[in-house]
Amino acid sequence: MKITWTLQDGRTHTAEVANGTNMMEAAVANDITGVVGECGGSLSCATCHVYVADDWVGKTGEPEDFEDAMLDATEAERKDNSRLSCQIVADDSLDGLHLIVPAL
Amino acid sequence: MTIWTPNDNGYADLTSHDTFVAGAPHNTFKRLRDEDPIHWTDWANGKGFWSITRHADIMEMNRNTAVFSSEHGIRMEDQSPEEVIARRTFQEIDPPEHMKTRIKLAKAFSKGVIEGFNSDIRELCVNILDDVLPEGEFDATKRIARVLPMLMLGRIIGTPEEDLPWLVQKGDELIANTDPDFTDHVLDKITTDEFRMMPFNSPAGAELFAYAKEMLERKKREGDTSGVLHMILQPGPDGEVISETEFRNFFCLLVAAGNDTTRYSIAAGIQALCHQPELLAQMQAGGDIWETAPDEIIRWATPALYFRRTALSDYEIHGKTIKAGDKVLYWFMSANRDETVFDDPFRVNLFRTPNKHLSFGQGGPHLCLGMWLARLEVRVLFQELSKRIRHIEAAGPQQFLRSNFVGGLKSLPVRVTLN
Repeated sequence: MKITWTLQDGRTHTAEVANGTNMMEAAVANDITGVVGECGGSLSCATCHVYVADDWVGKTGEPEDFEDAMLDATEAERKDNSRLSCQIVADDSLDGLHLIVPAL
Repeated sequence: MTIWTPNDNGYADLTSHDTFVAGAPHNTFKRLRDEDPIHWTDWANGKGFWSITRHADIMEMNRNTAVFSSEHGIRMEDQSPEEVIARRTFQEIDPPEHMKTRIKLAKAFSKGVIEGFNSDIRELCVNILDDVLPEGEFDATKRIARVLPMLMLGRIIGTPEEDLPWLVQKGDELIANTDPDFTDHVLDKITTDEFRMMPFNSPAGAELFAYAKEMLERKKREGDTSGVLHMILQPGPDGEVISETEFRNFFCLLVAAGNDTTRYSIAAGIQALCHQPELLAQMQAGGDIWETAPDEIIRWATPALYFRRTALSDYEIHGKTIKAGDKVLYWFMSANRDETVFDDPFRVNLFRTPNKHLSFGQGGPHLCLGMWLARLEVRVLFQELSKRIRHIEAAGPQQFLRSNFVGGLKSLPVRVTLN
């Protein structure tokens, strides 16, 4: 599937991501500045925070309880479309997904 | 110039605390990374263990908590199930249980909230430095590195300032429980079982327990709801409240972990300034360096040399089989010198980026809760130090802690010339 990030400087980056990969791993593999993922996708750090583009919010689903709690510990402002990208896993239903990296 | 050259023969005994008195055995770690990255060690004082020394392997295994569990102990020493339960904190609890505690504390230790301590930390740094620098020659660990984290600990847990020296002394007795300079109850030389149920198997654990209980009761009486100690007492999402034992263990963890790791990071940074003279000028030039310098100093330091896990099922890696029940040590110190990840790993490069060091246990759920506080303390301390001095050099032999678990300079004599 394809995924597009809007970067901190406003440019975009699009990459092909294998099904089963989570969006934190995909961002790290693509050197997306601002998505770090220090805990390796274990829900312990909130450093892979992204905003999901409006037209994709319904498809990526809602954060579960622990993710919801960790979203209170993000560096950038939490918004309704905030997610920890390690919790969004690539599959064909998300082909074309658009994520926005929070600008600080 | 080289900051420090390891002199082990490549076959150092990793089970011996004495090995680390000469500093971490980096020639041994390098040989293991090159020749035997999943290395078995027999141990006279307990079950043997696997040493994992490559960065990539630790990253692969650390996140896999379904196989590699923290619930049977996180240090080399064997513990009975009773000891583990009596001494455990959320450090010794696997996800998803681990998360129930972490989410109570995550916001208080988040980057944004911690940044709010910037001016507090700066004020403490200014006081510490203005007090000691005019002396010209002093022990940088004892006079600078040890003092800042201690004073910050007081602000985080809300203890009176006059209690802090006692608390830090007890914290040292706990975590430096293998160094006779810090404790009379040296872990590998004790003959009593009396303290096995106490944090770190140390009598200091009992004293800290009593202190924590008294403090908690006082706070309750006074209706004081400030600080992280109050947060951890709040019910979790399922209404569960932590037990009194777990609370007291958490208190001991804060006192121990919140102290010496940042201390040894600061000490290692000062050591680097003494032996790589270009670093001071780079710091004085300022700017973006402060985004990257703290992590490089913390990579160089790697105060938590390893953490242990226990395999719950068999695991194949590089042709070896780690069997269910085997102990596994992730040697973060070795991973942080892995030349496949870090160019010129034995040089401090304050501009290093990316810097995928594992000093905070990156890549797994037990990632250091206090990492933003550590980074901020290191950043502000070196900002203020570099402003004030023209030159810094070693003024005598450095001494490392006697411990294969916590690595650091317990003594670092330096001489400074002020601006």
